[in-house]
Amino acid sequence: MTFFDQLMLHFDEGVTGLFGQWNVYSSLIFTLFAGFLTYQIATRRDPDAHPFLLARQAQPSAVRQEGESPVYRSQGAPHGMPLNPGLNVKDPGVSKWAKGRDGDLRDIWRQAVAGVQEDGPSKGATGRILTVLGSENVTEHRLDDLTRQINLIGQHILDQGGNRVAIYLPNSVELIVTLFACAFHNLTAVILPFDQPDDAVISMLRRSAADTVVTAPGSFPFDHVVKSYPSLRQLIWVVDEGSAHLDWNEVPQGTGGSVNVSTWQDIVSDGPADAGKDLPPLESQKEARDVTIFWQSKPGSAEEMVRFTAANLISAVTAQIFAIPTSQRMGPSDLFLPADSLANTHTLVLTLAALYSNASVAFNSVGAGANDLVMATRGIAPTILVATPAALLKTHQETGGTLTSAIARNLHSIQTRSLTQDGVMPTASFITSYYDRYRPAIGTKPGKLRLIFTAERVGAGTPPLSSAVLSDLRVYTGARVIYALTSAKVAGAAAQTGFYDYRVFNDNRSHFGAPLTSTEILLKDTATVKNADGQSRGEIIVKGPCVAGNEAALGVEGQIREDNTLAYL
Amino acid sequence: MDYVEKRVAQEASKPAAADDSLFTPLNVLLLGVLVYTVYTFFKPKVPVALPKEEPAVVFKTFTPRTLLPYSGEDNAPVYLAVRGRVFDVSRGRNFYGPGGPYANFAGRDASRGLAKGSFDEDMLTKDLDGPLDTLADLTRDELEALQGWEDRFSEKYLVVGKLVAVGDENKA
Repeated sequence: MTFFDQLMLHFDEGVTGLFGQWNVYSSLIFTLFAGFLTYQIATRRDPDAHPFLLARQAQPSAVRQEGESPVYRSQGAPHGMPLNPGLNVKDPGVSKWAKGRDGDLRDIWRQAVAGVQEDGPSKGATGRILTVLGSENVTEHRLDDLTRQINLIGQHILDQGGNRVAIYLPNSVELIVTLFACAFHNLTAVILPFDQPDDAVISMLRRSAADTVVTAPGSFPFDHVVKSYPSLRQLIWVVDEGSAHLDWNEVPQGTGGSVNVSTWQDIVSDGPADAGKDLPPLESQKEARDVTIFWQSKPGSAEEMVRFTAANLISAVTAQIFAIPTSQRMGPSDLFLPADSLANTHTLVLTLAALYSNASVAFNSVGAGANDLVMATRGIAPTILVATPAALLKTHQETGGTLTSAIARNLHSIQTRSLTQDGVMPTASFITSYYDRYRPAIGTKPGKLRLIFTAERVGAGTPPLSSAVLSDLRVYTGARVIYALTSAKVAGAAAQTGFYDYRVFNDNRSHFGAPLTSTEILLKDTATVKNADGQSRGEIIVKGPCVAGNEAALGVEGQIREDNTLAYL
Repeated sequence: MDYVEKRVAQEASKPAAADDSLFTPLNVLLLGVLVYTVYTFFKPKVPVALPKEEPAVVFKTFTPRTLLPYSGEDNAPVYLAVRGRVFDVSRGRNFYGPGGPYANFAGRDASRGLAKGSFDEDMLTKDLDGPLDTLADLTRDELEALQGWEDRFSEKYLVVGKLVAVGDENKA
């Protein structure tokens, strides 16, 4: 035989010899191999956001001023395009392609009442407005009833000569109704943070020059206020069912003879039954008035008073709506629960965005400032939640403490891998159903929660949330978490992490993501921290239509990271 | 077929030496393939890193003297000034760079030349240390032409600085 033939024979005998050793174990190993490969290929999911999109989340400007960094903008509002000014409200009857108005608070309520406008299966669907009292009692308010209340309360305040209305209420439907009443009847609303010491309340009333107060008995120091604040003209008590039998119109002897006291229920029930069903018409409405809020930094220090124009708030609402991808936006099937005080503009803006998107909104007076998410969400199953970092940290610590067994920890790490490596939310499967017993009991049906908003408040000492904590919360609750940076002079948020950004870094405090479509961020040199080519560090300055005065310095130092997201130094 | 028949007969005549252990060479090979595949799938992925963007240009205040070096020679960027605004026209190096038809404008105040539509030397200000060209003697048509040019420049090129006369740098 030739050399080549011999070679081939040797080769043949070698291969046959090797595979001749095939035995049971070989079949087993090969089956495992084929099974593993098939499983991985069949269950592979594309990441929610392309990694390249997460690797560069904001766009810097091409030119920068000396001593400043380039101006960073969201990818949704690139340089050269104007920032998001308004809601693009289209009046009924106007063509779908016409340019809409910017809109103001009144348009938000009109949209909430009108229902979903887009053609489709949910056309005309409206959200429900719920009040949660305790764990069993959930009352629904009808939208036309609320419209009636808006009209009657607003008209009453106007008739009594009110101009600047202070709202000192916990999270409740009355707060929102008064806010809209001020918007529709050209009154200036002043929202005071609830549960403050007496002199803080008086100081805030004085600084905001309020002449009307809408408040709840028991928390408002009526006697003290009447003595120290003579400009108060009108007071409206929001009385709950249990105390309705008392006569709240009676003013104690020797006090406030000049104050006109009435109750909410009286105003609403005294009005004729068919009055106030229609909102004031669109054509003759005057320009929208400002809203004043008080920003609380550390407890004990004076609150900062900030005036936001209607345009500021609307721009912030638009930016929050645009921050979420279209397929995931709030809609009539969502239940929105603010478990943070509505006196915070971030929470207020998100609530307005929920109302504008025709989502159902629930109000829980316990929720504001409560550090317990389980208590704040009793009785309902929210799908979207606004929580404080302190509450989230508490939930994280409690749940983390229960995960002691090795199986639970392994399941947790498998689900975390799904988030960080594959870039997708972990799916519920038979194996992970063992993990469900560890999930925090948020709401009556924990699986419904899909989105949690939380905000870092500049200067208020909110506890830091690291990206590992945020990722753990995503695994525990099965919901996406958005971490925002908020400040006194910025309505809504200045920067916010991406909806699909699940990355985990080795940090003590997570980055704050990219600017919103209504803000642009630049960093200015300070005495200690300077900008350099390619390295932006300095004091955070926020500009845009949602900032009071269109430009504000946050008073804190930050840096821009490799992926163009904002973080504290 | 002959060969195949011969080989089959050869193998069939061999005694059945079935080795039932787990670690035959074939099994070791198959195990190796399995372990490698599992490792490849579960290896932590390196996070993707996009190349760094070019650092932003710092906005500077130029005088006619300091603007002059930016004429494209020695690979310098090409700048030209229109009505006090300095544009980075490096992308149009074929036109404004050295050897291009409009090379006279590079590193200079091009306002008068653009207004009158001329690339002559006498359109440029001779005295680099003197005050800037005020363009006071241009007719309305020329001013319109200049505005058109300025708009086109604004759309196409980046403003990287402003031009002031020598001695005016510290004024606002």
